[in-house]
Amino acid sequence: MFNRKNNQIDSILDDCLERILVRGESAEECLAHYRQYADELKPLLQTVVATIKALDIEPRPDFRAKARYQFHSALKEAVSKKHRRFFGWQLRWVTMASLSLVLLLSGGGVVAAASNSMPDSPLYQVKLVTEQIQLLLTSSPEDKAELHAKLVDRRVTEIINMAEEENVGLVELTTQRLDNHLSMIVSISATQVIDGGILSDWAPESPTITETVTTTIGAGGILNEVTSDSLPPTVTKSADTTVLIPDLPVPTVIYLPSEDLATQLRQYSASNIAALYAALESASEEVKPALMQAIAVLESGYSNALSAIGE
Amino acid sequence: MQDERSLVQRAQKYDQEAFAQLYERHFDKIYRYIALKIGNYADAEDMTQQVFINSLQSISSFKWRDIPFSAWLFRIAHNQVVDYLRKKTRQPTASLDNVLAISDSNPQQSAEDSLATEQLMSAARKLTPAQQEVISLRFAGELPIAQVAEIMGKSPGAIKALQHSAIVALRKLMLDDKDVQPKKQPNR
Repeated sequence: MFNRKNNQIDSILDDCLERILVRGESAEECLAHYRQYADELKPLLQTVVATIKALDIEPRPDFRAKARYQFHSALKEAVSKKHRRFFGWQLRWVTMASLSLVLLLSGGGVVAAASNSMPDSPLYQVKLVTEQIQLLLTSSPEDKAELHAKLVDRRVTEIINMAEEENVGLVELTTQRLDNHLSMIVSISATQVIDGGILSDWAPESPTITETVTTTIGAGGILNEVTSDSLPPTVTKSADTTVLIPDLPVPTVIYLPSEDLATQLRQYSASNIAALYAALESASEEVKPALMQAIAVLESGYSNALSAIGE
Repeated sequence: MQDERSLVQRAQKYDQEAFAQLYERHFDKIYRYIALKIGNYADAEDMTQQVFINSLQSISSFKWRDIPFSAWLFRIAHNQVVDYLRKKTRQPTASLDNVLAISDSNPQQSAEDSLATEQLMSAARKLTPAQQEVISLRFAGELPIAQVAEIMGKSPGAIKALQHSAIVALRKLMLDDKDVQPKKQPNR
């Protein structure tokens, strides 16, 4: 009996609230609908009206204007990023498809022949295109870094060959390409994504944020470049406000084993630097400055790459 | 007023006009919800802005299903509030007077209104977390009972009962506060 009366009052109070909040009725108008409950309702509706009045607050106009401007800027940025991503993908696929077609039409033999070509060879461009396709088809950051490490090794062989040919221009150009590969290793290795699946589970479709953090990697290894779709806006845990929030998992950092890459880099570093010094000894005076530049680029590049993976 | 669902669908395709409409529609409600829960106007402003930036970043992952967009936004706001309060408990708390002094710079708000708001915020902070949540969502967020129920994972009947007990408790707290006020500041 008591529960039934309570349920009735709960519903009547809610109906009055709906009338006041949504339809804009006054407390008196609502009381007129429920005269038999007026004694009980009246003080509650007074509180409701006082609460609504007290909550008639707004952000400061200057803040509102600033916030609106910032939001619109962020919106524009998001739109342009989306377009960039879309066209970036299109470009990648179109490039890959075109290059694949060219290579198919020209026959597999050409690719095989080009693989050992040097920078002064007509087939060298095919070699570079093949490498680009390999890089485009490699999605894992770790594999990509390893591929760049192998390509550095190739460039060193080419530099030595061009130094023997006394082709200073191509030694310098190949050194630039070598530098690009080393920079890519550093760049890939220094990118980590933190996956912090910490949104309350009362959000079946949790709002998410993708967050990529660039940082120096610890000794554990390089970090996978993963797009996280599970980052929430905030960490949600509080002793006195856990009414809606369950226990949350600890944020995790995804590490990839870097042993292969580290081993490769150490081996390549030692052998390639030694090979360039050996080439320098027998090089003509004309080509020596370009070779010394190549050695400097190689030494600092390997050093940076090894640091980036915590070696 | 354009149907919210179609606005959200357009916003998910990064239609700027649709997103702007959603922003204008919900900005004040989210602000009031946060302000009531944390009792600090300046921080509430920053957090409101953050809620919308976060929603912009994650709109593509939003799926309507049974959860309306407004409920989703309030969840983001709720998470911001919880995080804020968690961090706040580690720091010395500013007195409510100081906090509300910031609002005095708002020329639209009279001293009387400020006092009423101060009383409400002070009283609301003494409610249970569930009562606080229902008052914030219902009064500040202006959400219908069904959406509050969805957000809080309870039945509409349970929310109505909770709302009733919250208003009763709020009344008592506000009256107690009024009784205490003259003792603190006797008339000269």
